[in-house]
Formats: sequence, C-alpha cells, structure tokens
Amino acid sequence: MSVPSMSRARLQSENQAAMNAPYLTAESLTKTFGEHRAVDEVSLSVPQGEVTSIIGPSGAGKSSFIRCLNLLEVPDSGRLRIGDDALQFGGAEPRRSEIQAVRRHTGMVFQAFNLFPHLTALKNVALAQMRVLGRSRKEAEDRAMAQLERVGLADKAGSYPGQCSGGQQQRIAIARALAMDPDLMLFDEPTSGLDPEIGAEILTVMRELAADKMTMLVVTHEMEFARHVSNQIVVMVDGAVIEQGEPDKIMSDPEHQRTKQFLSAVLGR
Amino acid sequence: MDYWIEPLRYIAFGTGMTVMLTFGAAIIGIVLAVPLLLMARSRFTALRGLYHAFVHIVRGVPTLVWLFIAFFGVTQIGIVLDPITSAMLTLGMIATANMAEIYRGGMQAIPAGQWEAAHALSLDRSATARDIIAPQLFRAVSPSVATQVIGLLKDSALVSTIGVADLVFRAGLMTQNYGNGLVMFAFAGLIYLALSLPVGALSRYVHARITRRYAVV
Repeated sequence: MSVPSMSRARLQSENQAAMNAPYLTAESLTKTFGEHRAVDEVSLSVPQGEVTSIIGPSGAGKSSFIRCLNLLEVPDSGRLRIGDDALQFGGAEPRRSEIQAVRRHTGMVFQAFNLFPHLTALKNVALAQMRVLGRSRKEAEDRAMAQLERVGLADKAGSYPGQCSGGQQQRIAIARALAMDPDLMLFDEPTSGLDPEIGAEILTVMRELAADKMTMLVVTHEMEFARHVSNQIVVMVDGAVIEQGEPDKIMSDPEHQRTKQFLSAVLGR
Repeated sequence: MDYWIEPLRYIAFGTGMTVMLTFGAAIIGIVLAVPLLLMARSRFTALRGLYHAFVHIVRGVPTLVWLFIAFFGVTQIGIVLDPITSAMLTLGMIATANMAEIYRGGMQAIPAGQWEAAHALSLDRSATARDIIAPQLFRAVSPSVATQVIGLLKDSALVSTIGVADLVFRAGLMTQNYGNGLVMFAFAGLIYLALSLPVGALSRYVHARITRRYAVV
C-alpha cells in the first residue's frame, strides 16, 4: 500500500529544522511468540542518511524487532512507516502487495548470510534484480559486478558461496542487498557469525556505506562500531527500548541502570 | 546352445514392458508428487490431513494388494481395466506417495534462511519456488529419487501376477514350456541388475556434478 498522504519531499521540508527526517518510524510495535513478548511496544525513528545501532543483551528482542521492519515477522500491533508506505498492524493481515512495497525499500543482511548456495556470487546478486526489478540479464549482471567490486570481491563473481570464506559470503550478501537499490539497509548481527578479524572487513564495508549516507539500522554487539559509526544508539532489554540517544552519551554516561550493567559487562571483558 | 536362444530371447523381449512400467510410474510419481508436496505444506489443515491420509494409506497397504484391487477389485464396481493400465496406475500411485515423502524430507533440508533471503529481496512466490527452492530441492532429493526408481524397477515384477508380460511373467512362461526355471529366472534377474546399474550410475553422476559445484556449503 503506498500512502500518498505525505510525499517524501514534503516530509523532508517539514523536518528540515530537525537533524534529518526519519526515513523509518516504528510506533508501539509489538510481537508475541506464544506467551513471550519478544518485541514490546517499541517505538523508534531511523533518520534518513544516518546510522542507528541497536544494542542490548541476547534475547532482548533486537533481531525480532528488525525482522518486523521488513515483515519477516508480522507485528501483532503497532504502526510502521517506511518512506511513503504506512502499515497498521493488529487488524487484517497485511496484503502481499503492502508487504512487497515495504520490502522493496529495504535491504537486509543476515547473521547467517543466507546466500543461495546453488548460484554463483554474480547470480546471487543479479537474480532479484531480474525477477523483481525487471532488469535485463546484461544490466543485472553489470550492476552485480559493480556491487561486488564495491565490496572488494570482483574476483569471486564466478565462485559459489561454498567456495568463499564467511567474511566473503557476508560481503556478497551485502552486495546482493545493495543491488536492489534499497533506501534503508537492515543489518541483523552481520558480524556475529564471524571471527573478530573477519568481522572487521564487514565493518569496513559498513563504514563505507555510512560514509555514502546510506540509511542504516544495525543490530550489533560491535560496541566500537556502535559508538564511532552510528549517529544514534538504541538500547533494548526484554523486548523494550530502555534508552536511546547519541552514542557518546549512551556509552559514557548511560542513564538506565540496566544499560550500565550491560555496557560494563560487554566493555569490561 | 541353440536350445536356449528362443526362450531367452522371448524373456529379453519383456525388458521393454518392465522399463516402460518402471519409468512410466517414476515419471508419474516425480510429477504428481509436486502438487502433493504443495498440499503437504498448505496452510489449510484439511489439505495437510488429506496428504497424510493419502500417503499413509498408499504406503500402508502392500503393493500386491493394490495391484489386485486395481485389476480384480474394480471390476466389481463396473470398471474394467486391462492389466497394463492397472499396473501403471498402481505403480504410479505408489511412486507418487513415495516421491512426495522424499520431496517433503528434502524441503526440511533447506534452511529457513533461504526463504527469508528470498522474501527480503522481494522475490515473489513463483520466483522463490522456481529459482531458489526447486534447484536446492533437486540437489537434496536426487539420490533418494534414484533409489526409489530402482525400487520401482524391482516392484514392477509384481505385475506378472496379473498377466502383464514383463520379464518375470515371460520367465515363468518359459519355465513352464522348457523347464529349467533356474536359468530362466536367473536370466531375468540379470536383466534387472543390468537395468539398475545405469540408473545408479546416472544418479551418482548427477549428484557428483551438482554437489561439486557447491563445494563445501
């Protein structure tokens, strides 16, 4: 569903006074699995062209929340606005066209890479461009090659995922998401499945994206990245946002006791 | 030596029938198991129930009993099928149930992340099925499908009981005429063995080809 009530241009002019207009706004999103409230009335905004990091202990609902944003999980209630598309949850199931509209704006990078094992790196990056955006094979593969170059893997274009290291696979996955020209990139613990050294190469790619003003929402345990690359940090505990703000403020002078506990646990190691 | 040529030639001519029934049933199974798989994974409980009932009933009754039902049994309700049609229907039905279970198992081998990645890229259902799931399913099930085809080849021998002139039927006939059942049936057995070899070899070749490309996943 594309809600034309607010054009992006108007939105931007309205919010020019603030820092950057929010590209994504979640209001009171809630997702329950059985008895467990994985995401509990979470509201947050992701400003256009900025990086927002979500940190917090395991099981805090960070991944569930980010999966709600491209509707891999459909929230039980709340509202979501991404670009010009707005969705309200709790009533009728969202239509497939509404879900597709949201997903068209977003690219997602998973902890487990989820590359297609039967396709070469190039085809992994080219496939959805052809099937979804209707690009010709030639155009899709040219663009795929450009994205692979961007993540430093042009030489792996003809390789299958199984022939690539974890770090290479994750960079191919990033290229695959970027090739769809997303307005927002969602990263769900992109380095958690990798050795710290390999994770660093992923973080480098993400830093470059941030420098290119890509709007990003990152669930991460990488505190250095959260502090130095993001414009905003959101702390989630037990399915709820307990604190959010500027990275330096959250890192050096958190207000919430639970945030202090979490930070001293991860930073004190 | 000349004495043997006639009966063995007669038996060997049954190869065509055995092969036709085996591969006919295999193709029926490989194709019809696809809609059955969709039933098995339907979000409607009734369809899933129907699927499990079908598979359980087909596989829970001996092939020979199905064969007799399809040939002798149905005449009582006014349906007269010739032996070859009965044999084809029976073997095809059993192949369908078995292939569907093989597909269903194969689907479980595909990680949920594959669907999630396809969804995240906005691929629609048909593109996801065709470009992402089917090729991986094919890789996962090809050895089991080949085993099932070899199983069908051997099961097809049962059709001799309703008078279909396959290898076994002809070996039986020649034993009645010439005696020496050992030679007649051993010869039929050798032909089965010879038929199963290329199926196994083809399966190993295909599997090696597709898994080599993926290397370690």
